[in-house]
Amino acid sequence: MNWNDVLSFARGPLFQVALLVFIAGMVYRLVRVIGLGWSKDRVRPKRSEAKGVVMSFLKGIIIWPFIPWVKNTFKKNPIIYLAGGLFHLGLFVILILGTPHMLAWKSLLGIGWRTLGLPIVDWFAAVTIIAMVVLFINRLINPVLKLLTGPAEWLNLLFVFLPMVSGYIMTHHLFFRYEVLYSLHMLTVDLMLIWIPFSRISHFVFYFFSRTIHGQEFAKHGVRA
Amino acid sequence: MTVTEQALDMFVHETGGWAASQLEACTRCGMCAEACHFYQSSGNPEFAPVWKLEILRRAYEQRFTLIGKFKTAIGIEKKLTDEDLQHWSELNYYACTVCNKCAMVCPMGIDLGTLLHTVRSGLAAAGMVPEELETAVMKQVNEGSPLGMTASVWDSRLEWVADEWEVDIPRDVKGADTLVVFTSIEVMKFPTNVAAIAKILNAAGEKWTVSSIAREVVNFGFYEGDEEHEKLFMRRLFDGAKELGVKRIVVTECGHAYDALRFHAPNLLPEANDYEIIHITGVMADLVKSGRIKLQEGFFDKVGTVTLHDACKIQRRGGYIQEPRDILNILAPHAFKEMTPNMEEAICCGGGGGVIAIKAADPIRYDAFTLKIDQVNKVGANMVTMTCSNCRLQFTECVEHFNLDWKVTGLAQMVADALVE
Amino acid sequence: MDGKSILEELKEKGVSRREFIKLSGAIAGAIGLSSFPVVEAQAGSQLKVARGYKPADLVAKALATKSRVPVIWLEFQDCAGCTEALTRSQSPTLVNLVLNMITIEYHETLSAAAGFQVEEAKRAAMEKYAGQYILVVEGSVSPKDGGVYCTIGGKSSLAILEEAAAGAAAIIATGNCATFGGLPKAKPNPTGAVSVMSLIKDKPVINISGCPAIPEVFTGVVAHFLVFGTLPALDHLLRPKTFYGNTIHDRCLRRPFYDAGKFADSFDDEGARQGWCLYKLGCKGPTTYNACASLKWSGGLSFPIQSGHPCLGCSEPDFWDGGGFYQGQSAPLDRPAATVAGIAAGAGLVLGVGSAVANNQQKKNAKKSLKKVEEGSNELE
Repeated sequence: MNWNDVLSFARGPLFQVALLVFIAGMVYRLVRVIGLGWSKDRVRPKRSEAKGVVMSFLKGIIIWPFIPWVKNTFKKNPIIYLAGGLFHLGLFVILILGTPHMLAWKSLLGIGWRTLGLPIVDWFAAVTIIAMVVLFINRLINPVLKLLTGPAEWLNLLFVFLPMVSGYIMTHHLFFRYEVLYSLHMLTVDLMLIWIPFSRISHFVFYFFSRTIHGQEFAKHGVRA
Repeated sequence: MTVTEQALDMFVHETGGWAASQLEACTRCGMCAEACHFYQSSGNPEFAPVWKLEILRRAYEQRFTLIGKFKTAIGIEKKLTDEDLQHWSELNYYACTVCNKCAMVCPMGIDLGTLLHTVRSGLAAAGMVPEELETAVMKQVNEGSPLGMTASVWDSRLEWVADEWEVDIPRDVKGADTLVVFTSIEVMKFPTNVAAIAKILNAAGEKWTVSSIAREVVNFGFYEGDEEHEKLFMRRLFDGAKELGVKRIVVTECGHAYDALRFHAPNLLPEANDYEIIHITGVMADLVKSGRIKLQEGFFDKVGTVTLHDACKIQRRGGYIQEPRDILNILAPHAFKEMTPNMEEAICCGGGGGVIAIKAADPIRYDAFTLKIDQVNKVGANMVTMTCSNCRLQFTECVEHFNLDWKVTGLAQMVADALVE
Repeated sequence: MDGKSILEELKEKGVSRREFIKLSGAIAGAIGLSSFPVVEAQAGSQLKVARGYKPADLVAKALATKSRVPVIWLEFQDCAGCTEALTRSQSPTLVNLVLNMITIEYHETLSAAAGFQVEEAKRAAMEKYAGQYILVVEGSVSPKDGGVYCTIGGKSSLAILEEAAAGAAAIIATGNCATFGGLPKAKPNPTGAVSVMSLIKDKPVINISGCPAIPEVFTGVVAHFLVFGTLPALDHLLRPKTFYGNTIHDRCLRRPFYDAGKFADSFDDEGARQGWCLYKLGCKGPTTYNACASLKWSGGLSFPIQSGHPCLGCSEPDFWDGGGFYQGQSAPLDRPAATVAGIAAGAGLVLGVGSAVANNQQKKNAKKSLKKVEEGSNELE
């Protein structure tokens, strides 16, 4: 097999197909959810709902989970909180501030930006991978997660883990030839893109809905979100 | 039509974009489990809030999503059955107080409490409400109160309270500002609370009244999740309020009643927004703040240590977080100690959401209360006060069951005791 | 070309013994013998190399006993760049010396003669050295539409190649066009250009890719053939492993900057002046296997990355279609056209709206049947 052809395929037609599936799938899900209709809430809110929403996002994005706001639940499982938070932090640093990814965004969006040095991003990647392993083990042993985890949850982890690991190995030029690793990285990325609309990885969209609702609800009830 | 179909119909009817977007946002991380007192006390993974919600998620996916329909068609996902409903009925009615602490810890911020209420609606539509709860609901439908407080009982009890504690309880006063609606728990089990509230309002010179139409503020339809019953019980209150032409309705120390009337009624009955709906805790705090009533400072300092139990529906879901603390800081500036976690993060008593009405749920309920025992003992309190009669009922019962030597009281009663006449 | 050995010819030219030994050593180096006993790895080699052998001796022995190798050089869809690179390399060099070891019987660009005379000379040479000559091919072959897009003397490129290949001992495809199709094969490939290896299956083919091929690599391969009579060990793309075993990136002098995350953002910024990594400017070094970074060009003077230009990946298949030259390698090859993306979004929208309509109908039905149940139960009461 010629890995150059695989690479061209994974970077070219397959990526395009994956991207299109991703776009179509996500639009479908969004429209379907929004199309279910929103009834008007006639309850007079106790506090400003706008402020509640802002607080909700601040708490969700900036504080969580590095400053535990619900202390007793944090205390019960600090490692899982930290793993979840670090995983997301690392993911976004890599995807946005990693030079190769920025170039991919640039070719898709037409704008580029300054990026972090490879050694820094590399540490984030290592932390992210470790966090994923921790979350994986947690899913294996936590009784609640055992109950909740089906094939879809394992696939979610797998489809995120594979690009992550192949990307890490590739940056370090380990084990295989670069184009082999690059091909694997792109193939797994394509798979993940196709998988996202069918899975709960798409929570990155609905997060904005639920956080907004959280802010509104808690402000409505007169409690800080 | 099978019961499952009825439940599914209700889920379909109740699920709009609001619920759907949150169901889609759930990543099944399981963090809500750690917030749930029933899970914490029992370690039963099925008590995880997300799992109690599972039935709604399945209904949503099977009825609304292409993937879910596909999965059901090829058999990967099992259709909901009557057994499922029975199982989830037990999970939801026995082991959930809809206290919404799970929403506090959810990293996605999903408002689980409201969604769990939707689950109850579906189960109610399918007739899967536990028998004792259903009996109580029907009692409220037929007699006006789940505790058997019929019109005549109400009449004689209030008369007795007025006599016994020598307070005026103005009845059916047209043109009064404030309509006060007591819970049957207070009237039947904590009559001192009724007297206390009357005493406070009289001392403040409030133009208030009770109504013989709006006798019962408790809303078992809300526990059950049946919208029609919920509306029926609310309508009685608003009919009473309308007849007397009051401006505001004061909910006495009852958590879910306040939640139902303040945050549910406006979306069910348009007339709800004609009135200001306020909890007695808010009234008392206002009266103290504006100086209309005077309290003896440090009146309760001598009892040892006082602590406040935050009720889920009044503090976390009602926003009265600072008010009771302001009052307690006057009544017992030295004796008052906070439990941890407290305020909106407080651990629920375990008796709300109708759980206390279900005999079969007793072991689960007592189990959950052990968390509260730990909390109170850590503070070393010998007096626990709260702003919800349902919590107080649970506390009183559990104190007896576990042979504890705490004094359980309500905030209104403390205020009334410390009034400067 | 009358049976004289190369040594004899060199002697006639006045090459001393000392110079001859030096030459042998240099050639041994070019083949890669000094560093690595490649001969062991090659397929079909009868030669057993003993431990502690002296590579220069091996070469000297071959030069002393073998006569010059006849070469027929064909050009098809090409630019003669590989020829230019080979003949214009600095003089006197190793290349010159190796070129002394071959006789070029036919070469369109170098030949003084033209027309049917030179074609006749080629035919004669092919007859005389049948089974012995090396066939060098420069440029891609165009078999499409009966080969009308590239003809010489009325014959199609494919016919010429097949005729010449029949009597060749081995075929060397030089430059990206002959090895992988090169520029002529770039999308949309109007002439149907193909590589030599895709057409010739019954002869050993060795690919010396690059645009142009590095002269030292070409001469190294020729020297190897001369010394051992066989082709060196090849990779999966039939390129000699000695020269195509590492990526440009692996041997790049700017590699430390890559590892440190220091990149030039444009050709005239501070990073570019400091000699930082050109990855962001589209360097294809990480996936390009060639010897540029170690052998370098112009007699070892420099190579593109050293002089400030990213690697284009010219020794790899389809490098013209492998994304923009100045677009970072991590970028997808091309982005979906706005219309296609729009269609995808539209498809999602249609699906979503369809679902929403169906779902709302479900909700209405549910409400109706709930009402019916309610009324039913009321009647019962």
